[in-house]
Amino acid sequence: MLRVEGLTKVFPGRGGRKTVAVKDLSFHTMPGEIYGLLGPNGAGKTTTLRCLSTLLKPTAGNAWIDHISVLEQGESFRSRIGFLTSDMKLDGYFTPEYLTDWFGRLNRVPGEVVRERRKALFSELQMDDFAGRRIDDLSTGMKQKTAIAVSLIHDPDVIIFDEPTNGLDVITSKAVTDFLRNKADAGKTIVLSTHMMTVAEKLCSRFGIIAGGVMKAEGTLQEIAPGGNLEEVFFGHILSGGSSDEG
Amino acid sequence: MKGDFAIILGKELRRIFTDRKLIMFLVVIPMVMLPLIYTFMGRANRSRIADIEGFTPGVAVLMPHDPSPEATEMLSALESADFRVLLLEEGEQDSAKALVSSRELELVVELPGEDLSGEVTVFHNSTSDYSRTAMEEITLIAGALNDSLVRERVAGYGLPPGILTAVRLNSGGDLGMYDLAREGDLMGKIIGMMVPFFIVIYLFANAMKVGLDTVAGEKERGTLATLLVNRVGRISIVMGKMLSVMVAAIVGALSSMAGLKIASRQIIGLFSGPGEVPGGYAMTAADLLQFAVVVIPLAILVASVVMTVSTVARNVKEGQGMITPVYIAVMVIGTTTMQSGDVPPRWMCLVPVFSSLTVMKQIFMDASTWDQTLFAGASSLVLSAVLILLTVRMFNDERILFRL
Repeated sequence: MLRVEGLTKVFPGRGGRKTVAVKDLSFHTMPGEIYGLLGPNGAGKTTTLRCLSTLLKPTAGNAWIDHISVLEQGESFRSRIGFLTSDMKLDGYFTPEYLTDWFGRLNRVPGEVVRERRKALFSELQMDDFAGRRIDDLSTGMKQKTAIAVSLIHDPDVIIFDEPTNGLDVITSKAVTDFLRNKADAGKTIVLSTHMMTVAEKLCSRFGIIAGGVMKAEGTLQEIAPGGNLEEVFFGHILSGGSSDEG
Repeated sequence: MKGDFAIILGKELRRIFTDRKLIMFLVVIPMVMLPLIYTFMGRANRSRIADIEGFTPGVAVLMPHDPSPEATEMLSALESADFRVLLLEEGEQDSAKALVSSRELELVVELPGEDLSGEVTVFHNSTSDYSRTAMEEITLIAGALNDSLVRERVAGYGLPPGILTAVRLNSGGDLGMYDLAREGDLMGKIIGMMVPFFIVIYLFANAMKVGLDTVAGEKERGTLATLLVNRVGRISIVMGKMLSVMVAAIVGALSSMAGLKIASRQIIGLFSGPGEVPGGYAMTAADLLQFAVVVIPLAILVASVVMTVSTVARNVKEGQGMITPVYIAVMVIGTTTMQSGDVPPRWMCLVPVFSSLTVMKQIFMDASTWDQTLFAGASSLVLSAVLILLTVRMFNDERILFRL
């Protein structure tokens, strides 16, 4: 289980001015669940996820996977997550096959297991046709599939994806969402950030709506939008969001 | 974990040594650059010498109406030499000098009248190879004529010619027989001047080419974050990347040394006098060990400097801007080592890089000592350790790594 408590991230700015990107954010997700972190651009979704990946250190608060703390046990925490965000890229010089194997070794997965997982992931994501081509020569969708395979080669318990369908065509987008649903069915804990309500509504079992770095609403679709209209509820919350700058 | 840096290193080396463009830059260019440069320089030099030797300098001579006997002898000597002699009339000297200035004529010679006896005045142009060579030639002619006339006069007094020379220096046989330098020392001195300079230049050039990309380039492309979200520790990332930079730097230095070996014939030709063949130079096992004790820590230091800059920089372009002053400083240090005497001032041996280059130079000149060698190696390692710790700290600092 992933548990986030009181997560706060403040960025220093020029002239002593600080920006509070995320303020006292708490949520939890269970195995088999897809948790949708929803919010407009600049709401604090990516900062939250970057704190969970240890790329950023929270100013306050903490997060745990079971009893492993993101602050105190960074390496162990990272070994339990598969993290993907749109601004993370793969070295275009290498092939999907090489990079998947390499990241597997880096995560201390035995060679034989890496090969089996790679085979399964490539088949599931329909990557076999371009597995031996250089990443520089691949389309956006192919690159995204490769990034997903690389991030999951160590078979993490928690999958954290930031806008995984951004910029993808409908076919690739569907392949990615189907893939994520299968992973949830297999018992993985999934946290997904998106600003696309249609994707969220189709995939997620629980939602957290963030605006201005603050959690505005959290729960199942029935709990936060009893009428069943997620988009309407979402706009209602974000239009009431405040400024996040502090002097 | 212990093996993580090896996994990082493996990928970095694969990236470097399977890329044809990088191999061309890191291995081939350092190897072929020196032979090409020195072949070109050797050819240019030979061509220049052949051109000067094949040229007949124009010498304008002003002969006075009342020439001294020495003037008549001098004119005769000039006409016998390989000069194109033009006789000037009184008043034509200035226009002849202007022709020398404009390189259309090589020399203007004013021969003495009866009242000035042996006073010969020669005007030349030091910026012209032809004029300078003609000046050297006329100096020899004047010297030979002087000796001949003085001998005649001394003989006229019934004295032996030897009375003119009270002290003789190395007058018998080949001058080379008086040089007690050991076989190979001259070559060692030539190599000692050049190798340290080229080693540090290629260590730096290759480290920059690979090292700036390995962190700053990865930041720019967004591939560093992909690496950082894995379980691997930051120390392993820094060490793996730094070792790959060091390997690339050493490969460049070794290639440049191979190039130096290939170019050695041309270099010997340029540095030694005509007809001289300096003895071959050979390094002993102890020399090689001393050399490794200095070069490997120097490569680690260079890799650490580049890694530190690469970590601070937002992107490769910014990194290049930051590293350029360091590169220039290293070039200055390299040049200073080439120009410095056999025993540089002690304080200079405390300057990082300079101490290593000085020891390298002294190894080739068979003048190194183990305490200097160990000091140079240890100082590079201590400085590298400081830079590596700094880089690891920066790798844990999100403000630097992501420039927040």
